Amino acid sequence: MEERTEEGKYSNLILSLKVFFSNRTAVAGMVIFLAYVVDALIMQFDPRLLGVTNPNQFTYNFVNPVPQPPSSQYPLGTTYPGINLLQAILEAIRVDLGYSMLIVVGGAVIGAVVGILAAYVGGYLDELLMRFTDIFFSVPYLVLAIAVGFALGRSFTSMVIALIIVWWPIYARYTRSLTLSIKESVFVEAAKAAGASMVRIMFKHILPNTLPPVVVQISLDLGSVVGVFATLAFIGFIPNANTPELGYLASLGLNYVQSAPWTVIFPGLAITLFALSVNLMGDGLRDVIDPRRRS
Amino acid sequence: MISIKLWVYVLRRILILIPTLIGLTLLVFVLVHIQGNNLILAEYINPRLTGQARELEIQRLTQEFHLDQPVYVQYFYWLGQVLTGNLGYTNTPIYSGPVTTAITLFLPNTVVLSLFAALLIWLIGIPLGVFSAVNRDSPADQGIRVFSFTLYSMPIYLIAIALILLLGVYLNVLPFSGEVSPQMVAGLSWFRDGISYPTHVLLIDAILHGDYAVAWNAFLHLIMPSLTLALAVMAGIIRILRASMLEVLEQDYIRLARAKGVPERVVNNLHARRNAMLPVVTSFGYTVAGLLGGVVVVESVFDFPGIGYWTTQALLNNDIGGIMASTLLFGIVLVLTTLILDLVYAVVDPRIRY
Repeated sequence: MEERTEEGKYSNLILSLKVFFSNRTAVAGMVIFLAYVVDALIMQFDPRLLGVTNPNQFTYNFVNPVPQPPSSQYPLGTTYPGINLLQAILEAIRVDLGYSMLIVVGGAVIGAVVGILAAYVGGYLDELLMRFTDIFFSVPYLVLAIAVGFALGRSFTSMVIALIIVWWPIYARYTRSLTLSIKESVFVEAAKAAGASMVRIMFKHILPNTLPPVVVQISLDLGSVVGVFATLAFIGFIPNANTPELGYLASLGLNYVQSAPWTVIFPGLAITLFALSVNLMGDGLRDVIDPRRRS
Repeated sequence: MISIKLWVYVLRRILILIPTLIGLTLLVFVLVHIQGNNLILAEYINPRLTGQARELEIQRLTQEFHLDQPVYVQYFYWLGQVLTGNLGYTNTPIYSGPVTTAITLFLPNTVVLSLFAALLIWLIGIPLGVFSAVNRDSPADQGIRVFSFTLYSMPIYLIAIALILLLGVYLNVLPFSGEVSPQMVAGLSWFRDGISYPTHVLLIDAILHGDYAVAWNAFLHLIMPSLTLALAVMAGIIRILRASMLEVLEQDYIRLARAKGVPERVVNNLHARRNAMLPVVTSFGYTVAGLLGGVVVVESVFDFPGIGYWTTQALLNNDIGGIMASTLLFGIVLVLTTLILDLVYAVVDPRIRY
């Protein structure tokens, strides 16, 4: 008897994995995503593996500052001032990936707490929290980022705070709607009947059930967030910084874009490829948790 | 007929707007004033003033802006001023003076740019989405899907640069900087200091003055920024439209239409497309948010003198007046769009009214 339930548990997981791995584009997305993660981890813990001594700073070469086209020495060419593009991109991925993850996960945690609270408690609290969410929904992200950048100074920290402020309402609405349907489930009734406290029901019974769709949403959002993050850096959010970051890296070559297009294109492609991979992966994951979408 | 129930709904939605706007401005006001008064003083005091004169000026400004009061009190003073139409001053390299004048100078350009982008989305994006769904899994559909998926993943500045390189540098068919070629407007009586009169939209002003060569030049300068904006927003629309169109095409009423012999073209364009547009309309709020954010980037990349360009300049020059005003403006536009959208939706789909 016990064996059977155990088997039932695993067969569900195996089915999910089968569905995911039968989707070739989703697997390709995952492989690329993992490559980015591995690169970021190497840069964080042992950059020497990729021949980098200091991943926190661009390596300038003022002797030969003008962008050079791709060559055997510089596979992706160089950008102003004499920065080896391939090396700079490999360094910069760590920053973009790390901060984007922080933004999306931060937004998801805040949003999940607000959403579950609003939906489960309901009534006036629900109304109040949702109107509060509406306020944050009505701020265009770039404008809010500008205000936060003004308040806290233009830095990565203020970019992260600004984007979390913009992103959590999406998760609040999403988890609210998920919670509204979950709270009618029999197992929640059962937990209530067994005398579980409200907090316990919300975080022990409801939260885990909202996780799969939220994780899919995180994976889909990661692609947008990384683009927005780089865009903010590109339009000058981090002045005088020499921290490797893909949007800022692209802006370095902006004055040379007509004669040396690779200076802007390669850092941009690094972001596009990342966004593409998480979008593909997210689509695949969504098919796994939502059987209606399996074709 | 519009029922009483609908009017109640409309009234309700408009009333909700007020706390939302107050919350939005309060949020930004507190953010901008978090650093204390030094930035405000720095913006208004002539840096050449020293000693006693400077002290007096600080006292005067402290009184004028109520800087000795707590932030929330200052907020209500500010709100009172905004309600009487005084938005303060802005000081950026592209414009110094009253914020209200800056808005009348820059906003029309942005409106024209957004309208052009919206037109392009409507002309290109929606047909592509419908075509993709109708010809499901054909090579064209695959191509459109790859195209929209890639576009969806590109940061907006990369789309801009790609267009500049392709159309501006490589094919060399379109200009990509500013709103007009400087030699075209040199010495014109209705164009001074980079500002055209009377509408401040160069394209319209040139037509009003009968100067069609300048109008054509201004039009060419509009294409690339609006195309960038359109492509950035279009990607999401194509994906949503394709998915909803596929769903609609499976419905019984489509099958019925086909069964009774309605031509395929009519089924697709009349029966299916209208219903498939509903999710697109719902997501239009996000579309506008995307357009507003995109405008800031696109105008900076193309040096296009609109509200987004001014906002970026305000940020880079620590210009409080500009930042507060543009936040208010962008917020109002977004909130009003959402409102209009909800109302349209309530008229279109009676199930929404509650």
